[in-house]
Amino acid sequence: METGIRLGLTLAQIGAVMVAVLLTVALLTLLERKVLGWMQDRMGPMEVGPYGILQPVADGLKLFFKEDIIPAGANKFMFSMAPILSLVPALIGFAVIPFGPDWTIDVGGVDFKPFVITDINIGVLYILAFASIGAYGIILGGWSSNSKYSLLGGLRSAAQLISYELNVGLSIVGVLLLSSSLSLVTITNAQAGGFWNWYFFAWGSFPQAIAFMVFMISSIAETNRTPFDLPEAESELVAGFFTEYSGMRFAFFFLAEYGNMILVSCVATVLFFGGWHAPLEILQGPEWMHGITGIIWFAGKVAFFLFLFFWIRATLPRLRYDQLMRFGWKVLLPIALGNIVVTAIVEYMFPT
Amino acid sequence: MNLKEWIKTLTFYELLLGMKATMSHLLNYKPITLQYPHEKKQLPSNYRGMLALLRYDDGTEKCVGCDLCEAACPSRVIRVISAEVPEEPAKRYSKEYYMDMTRCLFCGLCVDACPVDALGMTQEYEWAVYDKRQLQLNKQQLLAIGDRNFPVREKRLEYQHPNVAYFNVGFKGIPQKDAE
Ligand code: SF4
Ligand code: SF4
Repeated sequence: METGIRLGLTLAQIGAVMVAVLLTVALLTLLERKVLGWMQDRMGPMEVGPYGILQPVADGLKLFFKEDIIPAGANKFMFSMAPILSLVPALIGFAVIPFGPDWTIDVGGVDFKPFVITDINIGVLYILAFASIGAYGIILGGWSSNSKYSLLGGLRSAAQLISYELNVGLSIVGVLLLSSSLSLVTITNAQAGGFWNWYFFAWGSFPQAIAFMVFMISSIAETNRTPFDLPEAESELVAGFFTEYSGMRFAFFFLAEYGNMILVSCVATVLFFGGWHAPLEILQGPEWMHGITGIIWFAGKVAFFLFLFFWIRATLPRLRYDQLMRFGWKVLLPIALGNIVVTAIVEYMFPT
Repeated sequence: MNLKEWIKTLTFYELLLGMKATMSHLLNYKPITLQYPHEKKQLPSNYRGMLALLRYDDGTEKCVGCDLCEAACPSRVIRVISAEVPEEPAKRYSKEYYMDMTRCLFCGLCVDACPVDALGMTQEYEWAVYDKRQLQLNKQQLLAIGDRNFPVREKRLEYQHPNVAYFNVGFKGIPQKDAE
């Protein structure tokens, strides 16, 4: 009985989060083109529906009904596995993201946390681990397509993801030192009280602003977005690792990219910007309203980071490959390591 | 690098400058998009569009079958099969006239070359087709394009100038375009 209730609640929660994420992805595909268009004095999609708002539906239908081509000489098993391998990690990371207050409700004898699917105590590691598995999808997709462009894209992404994952991991360590926990719920709770408690500012301790910069740059590189979109570099590699993909498999890669974008924005919000906490206590409203205002603040912060992704894409050109590698290893890595050392020293001298 | 440049690098000054530019375009949003199938551009009056064969105001064809357009065309678009006007052996007309518009580069040399101004360039440009063979136009089609684009026709040549009028005198024998 208890197991049944727990299963039902968890499944409902997973369903709700998945629907929210996938709807956001659909919205993002439209918004990205619109925002890019607006920033470049264009209009973006305008044909389907008023002001093109039904474009995601049309895109989805098109991708769904398109012929699914497997190129001759491709490794069929790997070719079919790769999109799934990159989509699943992108979606599964949302399981540990707390998007609202840390409430515990008693439903039929079962402790139920309505605003986080599961609060495991190694949440950060879990997200990093699955992000690395997502890289396999890209590499295998590039390798199994039996196409030189895909292979080059896959190789590039292998090198890029390995270099930048390191920086993501190291830039987070500062936050982990401050909060002395790997659970995202605990990290969020530690940032309550006002914007000066967010780890970006970290009043009374070493601010993690530099770590945030490293994290943001590296996560843009990890999600293969401009200016680090070398794995898919349109102007050099046709479409990089998914050159040979079409139909639903292509859509999976597409969903994975946007899912990763949302995930990274969520992680940035939780780790550096206080998750669902409002910048001032007063803006959070009374205790019983925290559920609503928490989600609103969380969504607002995530939306800001997603906009930042578009904004950067509209502004910056793509890096050259050697610049990318040099920047990752020679600039970001030392900064991230230095941040760990300084944070550790400050935290040891002035424990909060 | 001196101190100022270091500070600029550390604060992402250049990147922020660029992002400010894109943001200012977002805030002062003035699209230059022309929503093509719904809005169309005003074409200049000398726009070089689809080619057409013209007629005089009394409905007779201008073309005298002289083949000069075929000679002038750099892409060998035009093929003229010239013939004598029946019952008037001194006069000629184009019995068949073909244009392969897949090759035309709209240079307008044929229009310049024609001694009787029998060719014209219209403002039509929406000529995308599903089958390339639909762009192989014959004389009737070219005349029809001319008819719908140039409603005001020139007077027959013999009424214009006595020197050139000679070429066109005997055109009464030409088979008329059948009424559609
Ligand atoms: S426009 Fe130029 S290319 Fe076209 S038919 Fe005339 S001469 Fe040939
Ligand atoms: S169109 Fe003009 S140049 Fe061409 S055959 Fe006829 S009269 Fe001659």
